[in-house]
Amino acid sequence: MTRNRDAILRLVGYALFCAAILVVPLFVDNGYLLNKFARYLVFGILSLALSLSWGYAGILNLGQAVGFGLGSYCMAMALKLRTIPIQTGAGGLPDFMVWNNVQALPWFWVPFHSYAFAIAAGMAVPAVVAFLIGWFVFPARVSGVYVAIITLAMLVVINLVIIDQQPYTGGFNGITDLTTLKLFGIEFDAYSDATYYLAAITLSLCLFLGLAFVNSKTGLILQAIRDDETRVWYFGYNVAAYQNFVFCLSAAIAGFAGMLYTLVMEFASPTFLAVPISLSIVIWCAVGGRASLVGAALGAIVVTGVQGSLSDTPAFLDTWMLIMGGLFIVIVLFLPNGLISLIDLALGKRRRGRAATAAASVVAIERSESSRRQSAAR
Amino acid sequence: MSSIIPQISVGLSIASILLLIALGLAIIYGTMGVINLAHGEFVMLGAYAVWFLQTFLGIGLIAGLVLVFLLVGFVGWLVELTLIRRLYDRPLDTILATWGVGVILQQAVRLGAGAELRYVKMPDFLVNPVHVMGYEESAYRIFIFVLAVALLLATYFLIFRTEFGLRLRAVTQNRDIARCFGINAARIYSLTFAYGAGLAGVAGALVSPLKSVSPDMGTNYVVDAFMVVVVGGVQSLLGTVASSYLIGQANGVLAFLSNDTMAKAVVFLGMVVLIRLFPQGLFAMRLRRS
Repeated sequence: MTRNRDAILRLVGYALFCAAILVVPLFVDNGYLLNKFARYLVFGILSLALSLSWGYAGILNLGQAVGFGLGSYCMAMALKLRTIPIQTGAGGLPDFMVWNNVQALPWFWVPFHSYAFAIAAGMAVPAVVAFLIGWFVFPARVSGVYVAIITLAMLVVINLVIIDQQPYTGGFNGITDLTTLKLFGIEFDAYSDATYYLAAITLSLCLFLGLAFVNSKTGLILQAIRDDETRVWYFGYNVAAYQNFVFCLSAAIAGFAGMLYTLVMEFASPTFLAVPISLSIVIWCAVGGRASLVGAALGAIVVTGVQGSLSDTPAFLDTWMLIMGGLFIVIVLFLPNGLISLIDLALGKRRRGRAATAAASVVAIERSESSRRQSAAR
Repeated sequence: MSSIIPQISVGLSIASILLLIALGLAIIYGTMGVINLAHGEFVMLGAYAVWFLQTFLGIGLIAGLVLVFLLVGFVGWLVELTLIRRLYDRPLDTILATWGVGVILQQAVRLGAGAELRYVKMPDFLVNPVHVMGYEESAYRIFIFVLAVALLLATYFLIFRTEFGLRLRAVTQNRDIARCFGINAARIYSLTFAYGAGLAGVAGALVSPLKSVSPDMGTNYVVDAFMVVVVGGVQSLLGTVASSYLIGQANGVLAFLSNDTMAKAVVFLGMVVLIRLFPQGLFAMRLRRS
């Protein structure tokens, strides 16, 4: 019974959160503020994506920004190709290519004339890159810190290549001067309600679909892998395949967030897939609560929100980093499950240890296994 | 053929800087399992300490090295005492906590010393290049190389030839049993952390004349240093040396063949492959899975 009550409470919590972010434009009539809030929401989606792989499957991905950046570039490429001719070189060639003496549009730019392709690519490219990394890493049963280091190294590699290939990617400057996206008759201007709603609806969808996913059988197996990888191998599951799946899923969501980020920021830049932002994602996730989707999203929104307002306040202009660092250490020390665990504490629930959750998910799997075996026997 | 020797010396120079920075990290990570993301900030603190000593107290780089070691070591000791100590049961969380430390140190320096670039003078007698076997060589780079080797030997001696090292190795192998034998593990850990931090400080002091000193200079070093440590194999000094050399040379040669950016990209890609093939590092010693 209490399990049921918990689940209902959680759903109510998620619904309240989504309602809260969806009504914001009714009260805020300021394009600049809405743009800022939309940015925070995009970071929320990004953090949620990491929570799927880190909080639920134990894969600490320090290169989460790879998917984010690639998605952002896919969207920027499509928008760049549609930028009005004044800002574009001869024959519809993007301006930075003209400056770099590129004669014709490179082949991998051509399909981006289609929005449908670009949006598909914005999720598919990160997923494919993640799949290749995962395919290389997980079957060797490399785990923990090594996954963190490898993903971090891959982030650096991809970042360096994008900066180096200036004629095709815009190098340090990234891809700037973009037109606004028009889809289904809606114009997604960076400062409009439409863009905010797009981010808010995406985040809401991700929250509910994510909740369904982590409570599915696959989700339970992933949690069991997080808690005791070896044991899940012994049950006969292909742990590597599950890990790679959630790794790709997380990258695809990050890619979508990246596309939204391009709409919100109106450019794409190699800083979107640089080390600082990638580490920030981990921080947001940890502050909010890595093993809670809404917690991770809230963490990103709260941290970037506080960052934004503190750095805008003259009194804190110089000290906000100090405050953030200190706050962060306090949370790591005293609230290892993030701010979201404050709710549990407030509700007076006993803190369930990791062992308990591990046991729960393994038992759940064993139960479903035995019932499968029984029905097969019948 | 004539271009090979200068090429090797460029690689050696990169390698000795890498080794200097990675050495402290290897000790902290190898013995304590703490992933110290603030390591780059310890390097930065060392560089600023030298700048401060030089500008305000007129103490030169070489004379100041011991002071820098003690100063940054003390900061490390404080960090261990207040923070790391509470996280030994949650090694992955040390990534997060030390990142917070890094942010605070960076901002504190920015507030204290200003955000602008600072420059540290080389010791006068090392400014002019010297001639070695008919090749012109920067005296300062030779000095760094010699010091890197010296610090390596000192560390080796400390770990394998002293009472402290014996205790440290015991705690690394099995903390609980070591404590049963009356070893004060907490004290060993804080001293080790302080030593690693001190080494980072010295590394920062030594690279400061080659590169401009800024509050965020540490970020660039910490990733590289981690690669060196992981590729070489945790808990293996020899591995750290070999992988610094390997990575330094690869960096030098590839930068010669293409450009710095692509060289770094290719080296990192190579490291990923190495970590995948040898997850325990190239020179794995005894393994203890926690």
